Amino acid sequence: MSFDTIIQIEKIAREYEMGGSKIYALDGVNLEIGRGEYVSLVGPSGSGKTTLFNLIGGLDRPTQGVVYIDGVDISKLDAYELAWLRCRKIGYIFQTFNLIPVLTATENVALPTVFAGVPRDEGLKKAEKILASVGLKERLHHKPGELSAGQQQRVAIARAMANDPAIILADEPTGNLDLNTGMEIIDLLHGLNKSRGMTLIAATHDLKMIKASDRIVWMRDGKIEKIERG
Amino acid sequence: MLYPIWLDISDIVTNVEQDSRVQFGMGDAARLGYEYIVRRFNRAVINIASIALGIAFLSTLLMSDSLYRAYALAGGERLGVETYQYWLMFVALIVSVVGITNAMLITVFERYREIGTMKCLGAMDRHILLLFLVESIIQGFAGGVAGYLLGLIGAILSTGFTIGFTAILMVPIAESITLLLGSVALSMVLCGVATLYPAYRAAKLNPVEALNYEL
Repeated sequence: MSFDTIIQIEKIAREYEMGGSKIYALDGVNLEIGRGEYVSLVGPSGSGKTTLFNLIGGLDRPTQGVVYIDGVDISKLDAYELAWLRCRKIGYIFQTFNLIPVLTATENVALPTVFAGVPRDEGLKKAEKILASVGLKERLHHKPGELSAGQQQRVAIARAMANDPAIILADEPTGNLDLNTGMEIIDLLHGLNKSRGMTLIAATHDLKMIKASDRIVWMRDGKIEKIERG
Repeated sequence: MLYPIWLDISDIVTNVEQDSRVQFGMGDAARLGYEYIVRRFNRAVINIASIALGIAFLSTLLMSDSLYRAYALAGGERLGVETYQYWLMFVALIVSVVGITNAMLITVFERYREIGTMKCLGAMDRHILLLFLVESIIQGFAGGVAGYLLGLIGAILSTGFTIGFTAILMVPIAESITLLLGSVALSMVLCGVATLYPAYRAAKLNPVEALNYEL
């Protein structure tokens, strides 16, 4: 199976200053990710997975090298364009769900559509539809505190999909879930990746997640150790 | 028609989308700010009470003055509010502002992760700034109204025993309405000013750090 390139990472390095000495969180990483591909990033904590994520998501800037998304060098984007990229192009899923506790499931999912300039009613209607598609039809008006961990992660996945992004970045999405719930979340993400053609990049330790992916990128000490076909 | 430069570049990014600007207006901020106030009511009550007390002090003094003047016009003895009382009022308002700044700073710390998440979802610095300012100004509105009503009661009680409660009927309506509008406006301005620094801190948060923050 071949994919046209959606993300191209060229020789990126990200260094941090820590107590006077420089630490390389990423050190010369090259990676190409195809549209619709499902890539797992695997490696011990501190291997640079999260840093790589933040760079792809435009949350952080590399010290060296370039990240292209759809052929555009994202370091050249200004604050407006970066916000727009995060809003429309990329969906984030976190290990800790990070839902807004004062908002209901529907409102949480509709939040990215607010930033995208979608009229409120339309955004809420869309949010309900997406929530139904992730199996939360009965939980539309519950707040995060009233939902189980698995349900909260479903809401987070629905929120990530709210603006139909081309790329979903999932940082340890099953890290806070029990075995069965984690399994359901993996199936859900995998299904979305296949049915909607969303590019899915997941940092994970979870063997079942790794097995489902098209490619596995092993990272160690800020470098890519090896890349395997799934 | 001239397009801003960012529109051109992001058209390449998207190919399809027309409007490539993230949106978050006053209405959105007001709606979200209102949700925060309603659903974290306890914290809002502290803020509202803080500004309401300052405003109550102010409107008690000004209303008392109006009542005294009305009483004097009606042929009564000319009584007045002492200058030191105005100074006390001034100090009370400053204390209110400092209290609100403090409470809003804590609110910002509590919401570190949420702010980081919102930035991931497309919020820009100015949107976060707007969100906190609007939330505070809504509280200022509530505090202004509450403070005015408290002040009214305070003025009636404090003057009533010296010049009699009938003086209330002599106060021109226009004067009390001006005082209401002034109190509410001042309250909103003070809340806005008090929140400038906390809101700025929130807006400038680095999303990466905010997301990793453990409270």
